[in-house]
Amino acid sequence: MVNNNLLLPIWVPVVFAFGVFVFNGKKWLREIFAVLGTLIFLFITWNLFSIRAMDVYYRVPWAGFGMSFDLRLYSFSGFILLWLGIFTLIVTLFSTVKLVNHPRANLYYTYIFLTACFGSGAVLSNNFVLMVFFWEGLLLTLYGFICLGGENSYRTAVKSLIIVGLCDFSMILGIGIIWFLTGTFTMSKISLVPSGPAAAAFFLMMAGALGKAGAVPFHTWIPDAADDAPVTFMALIPASIDKLIGIYLLVRLCLDFFVLRLNDPFSITLMVIGGLTILITGFMAFIQDDFKRILSYSTVSQVGYMILGIGTFLPVGITGGLFLMLNHSIYESGLFLSAGSIEHKTGTTRLNKLGGLGKRMPVTAVCFIIFGLSISGIWPFNGFISKEMIIHSSINTGWTIFALSAYIGAILTVAYMLKAGHSIFFGPEPSGTKQVKESESLLLIPMIILAFLCILFGLDSKMPIKFSIAPILKSHFPLVNLNFYSHALSVFTPAAGITILCIIIAIAMYFLGWKKSGGKASVSSESLRYALIFKTLYDMAERKFFDIYEQGIVFLSALSEAVSIVFDRGMDYIYETAFVNTGKKITSLLKSAHNGKYANYLAWLIGGLFIVAWILILKF
Amino acid sequence: MNNVNFFTLLTIFVPIIGSFTVPVISFFSKRLSTYWACTIAFFTALSPFFLIPYVISGVQFVFGKHLYGGINWTLSVDALSVFVSIVSSLISAFIVLYSLHYIKETDNQTEYYFMVLLFIGSMMGLVYSANLIFLYVFWEIAAICSWRLIGFYRVREFVIKADKAFLMTFLGAVLMLIGFLQIYHTTHTFDITKMKGTGIPISAFLLILAGMLSKSATFPLHSWLPDAGVAPSTVTALLHAAVLVKIGVYVAARLFCDTFVLPHISYPLIAIIAVFSSLIAAGAAAVDYDMKRILAYSTISQIGYIFIGFAVMNPLGFAGATFYILAHGFSKAGLFLCAGIIEHNTHTKDIRKLGGLIKTMPLTAVAFLMCAFATIGLPPFSGFFAKFMVIMGAVKAGETGLAALALFIALLTMFYLFRMFHAIFLGNPNHEANLPVVVKERTPLMVSTVIAFSFFALLTGVFVRYPMKIVHSATYGMLHINTITKTKFTGVAER
Repeated sequence: MVNNNLLLPIWVPVVFAFGVFVFNGKKWLREIFAVLGTLIFLFITWNLFSIRAMDVYYRVPWAGFGMSFDLRLYSFSGFILLWLGIFTLIVTLFSTVKLVNHPRANLYYTYIFLTACFGSGAVLSNNFVLMVFFWEGLLLTLYGFICLGGENSYRTAVKSLIIVGLCDFSMILGIGIIWFLTGTFTMSKISLVPSGPAAAAFFLMMAGALGKAGAVPFHTWIPDAADDAPVTFMALIPASIDKLIGIYLLVRLCLDFFVLRLNDPFSITLMVIGGLTILITGFMAFIQDDFKRILSYSTVSQVGYMILGIGTFLPVGITGGLFLMLNHSIYESGLFLSAGSIEHKTGTTRLNKLGGLGKRMPVTAVCFIIFGLSISGIWPFNGFISKEMIIHSSINTGWTIFALSAYIGAILTVAYMLKAGHSIFFGPEPSGTKQVKESESLLLIPMIILAFLCILFGLDSKMPIKFSIAPILKSHFPLVNLNFYSHALSVFTPAAGITILCIIIAIAMYFLGWKKSGGKASVSSESLRYALIFKTLYDMAERKFFDIYEQGIVFLSALSEAVSIVFDRGMDYIYETAFVNTGKKITSLLKSAHNGKYANYLAWLIGGLFIVAWILILKF
Repeated sequence: MNNVNFFTLLTIFVPIIGSFTVPVISFFSKRLSTYWACTIAFFTALSPFFLIPYVISGVQFVFGKHLYGGINWTLSVDALSVFVSIVSSLISAFIVLYSLHYIKETDNQTEYYFMVLLFIGSMMGLVYSANLIFLYVFWEIAAICSWRLIGFYRVREFVIKADKAFLMTFLGAVLMLIGFLQIYHTTHTFDITKMKGTGIPISAFLLILAGMLSKSATFPLHSWLPDAGVAPSTVTALLHAAVLVKIGVYVAARLFCDTFVLPHISYPLIAIIAVFSSLIAAGAAAVDYDMKRILAYSTISQIGYIFIGFAVMNPLGFAGATFYILAHGFSKAGLFLCAGIIEHNTHTKDIRKLGGLIKTMPLTAVAFLMCAFATIGLPPFSGFFAKFMVIMGAVKAGETGLAALALFIALLTMFYLFRMFHAIFLGNPNHEANLPVVVKERTPLMVSTVIAFSFFALLTGVFVRYPMKIVHSATYGMLHINTITKTKFTGVAER
């Protein structure tokens, strides 16, 4: 079915972006305008979500050569689009208070609307070129958003641009190979067996998806952005939209574009990346001393679970991955918003400068606890069922080592959330926070909505799975009984039993550390930080030894220096010095022949005559 | 005379004849002559637009005049020539507009406008010429104009750099002429339209290629271009974005893709040279501190993409390379003119001495950033489509490694352009550099010109469908898919 309304989520945000960019009225009017825009955007996405089952198209010629402006709304794109609309509204609501006095708030809202436009386009595209167009467009808003932060935020902005740009460029190459093999850019027509060049295409496109989702090793800009960029940006982009879009592409790669099998090399690769992501960033999150940095590492760590689930190529794993993507976006953006609420009132998110806020900011504290329990995978909150699905699925592949990484990740998650929660909301109050009061209701409402969703999707997990996720998988696993409605995941399964054990271990580990640190929650991770091999590894990580960007820049600088000196300056030396000196030598030689002495000229003349005579003799 | 002939001749002769009227008018009023020059430039830019309806369907018009001595002045009007002439003349016109304020306080303005118009005229003549001798003549007129313009400030060191540029491009041109003569030895004609499908030996190919590489500043004949940064920024913008370096790539498309059948090794050779040149230049841009040299290296690097697009010899690659001429033209003109504003304001080109200018020059900074995004190849700017198509063309030709390298260079481009942007506009002002106390935006005319270029780069990306229509026709015309040729000659001996 052809429907022109598919264009609405693309151009309506552009109109609002332009409107808010040129807006020159009162602040409150601008905030209303921004909220109105996001409400309209949500209304559009909701309407499109409601018709997703009809498989709607919009197709017009574009740049030619198979590059058509081809949009497709179906169960998957409709699902992502709806949540794009919801998160845009929630974060905008929060921003109306948090960023009202920001000197470049107009630009901030412009970027929000442009992100909505590019995000919608990327999700709806049914042509790879169009998808890259919107996908890479998100790079611009990413750069712009981060630049709105502190004095030196532009360094982080470039870091993010180069890391995500690298992933995007590899995705472009992957698309090129797919086009070479299939002769089409139309996404719905592509289904490849990944062997030979197609396998390379899979890995290249996978890098694009993982880069957007922020998995290891493409994650290093996220903690830096937590320091520099506005916290609402963190809630909107790295915590939710990037996850939605990145995981969307990853799932499409695994389900649609490539025909993959259980435990093939692609599956193992994804599971390895997922497992490593969970562990590396989980350990990093635990030792951070800033709430936003903990959250930034935790958002990366949670991506690891999604990748692990999807990488199993089992229906339960993919469902778990997608459900975690949704749940994670909810609780992680909620966590960032609670960090925003704390920052708004105290001016800091450093753990050692906070404490006892539970009494002063009770709503924020309750919301935080709900989000914390959700991210820790504790029943009956939404993180529980999705994480358990992933763990079950990874056990079912036969590779229990990946399930082990997920369990260790669960220990770390509980530990760092305990550390953060304990430092901020409990314990002694520092002198600077004694006058703090609860945030304004407009800041609390978005958090309460998200907390409500955490409980709702925890208690009734079948509802989002039935309406949003099951239809996506139905066509791919027609013979498999997905059986989501009576899924045997409960606290009484052995796998869930191990999870409970992990939670107990985590609590014990945390309190041991807390006791060792003399009852200071903010430094409770010190005992792990300085333990044996961990000290060396943590030291290296803090020196950015494992940072792909820092090492990449060293490589780029060295390469640039080398090619510049050897080839560019080398070539120029030939022109500037070798040519000129040779010319000078020849001229000086000729000059010396013209010394004004008749005898000399006579000698030249005679010599010349001899040569002429010799030539004549030779010729005749 | 039909409309095609009329508008073509108008496009060529308005700037050439117009250039000679500038000194005449300057006798009466110097100021009037500058406005007159600007009017001529815009008129030149307008003329080729009228040719679009005739060539959009893929028709090639060949006409000309038989001259004495067996030499014909043949003109060929097709989608490619019209596209290149529009891009070139439009960018030039805006550069001339910017010049009204940029060089209004310098000496020798009459010569400047005379040379600039003649430069544009020679480009227009070259684009439409379908005779190797006329092509060479216009090629050399452009070289002479660039020589005078690079050394415009008449400082001894600058003149030496101008001499270097002239000598290097002249060396290439002479080699190319020898190549032409070698081809003439077998074809007995200089008429390009009669040579279609002619196989040429490797020696002739290498000689002609040397000409192109020197003109389009590609390794190993590239080093004159960074040195040419001593010229006024308007001139460097003309050299890089509108006229000079585009001559080489245009002639490469015309001769290597459309006219001659090259030895098999030739296309891969061009692609390898191009990607190598592109990498070296990107590396050099990443270590230099002179903003105009960085931009010059960037041009060399981007020209490599155009050569790659033409060398892969498939429709997408060719279309990408052709569209690249437009995309790179707008973005690079914008960047150079931004650099011009900065240099004018701060009297320095060293990025180490600059910093924090976004606070006092926000519009220039935003225009610069937009043009940088376009040069990197990020959507929704036109550079995205150009780069994407070139890379896809390389993949289609089975050159995946080349495509990967091209993408890596795009990453390097991002690296050096942001290094430059940060050094100039962000951070804190460098107080030790003795810059003027208050650095302000320059005149509204100059700032609006750079903003116009950044918006051209944006709009040609957002509305890519429209310029791509003519690129389509050019591509299919050049690769001989569905083309119709209409020939009409006048002159001494009717054929």
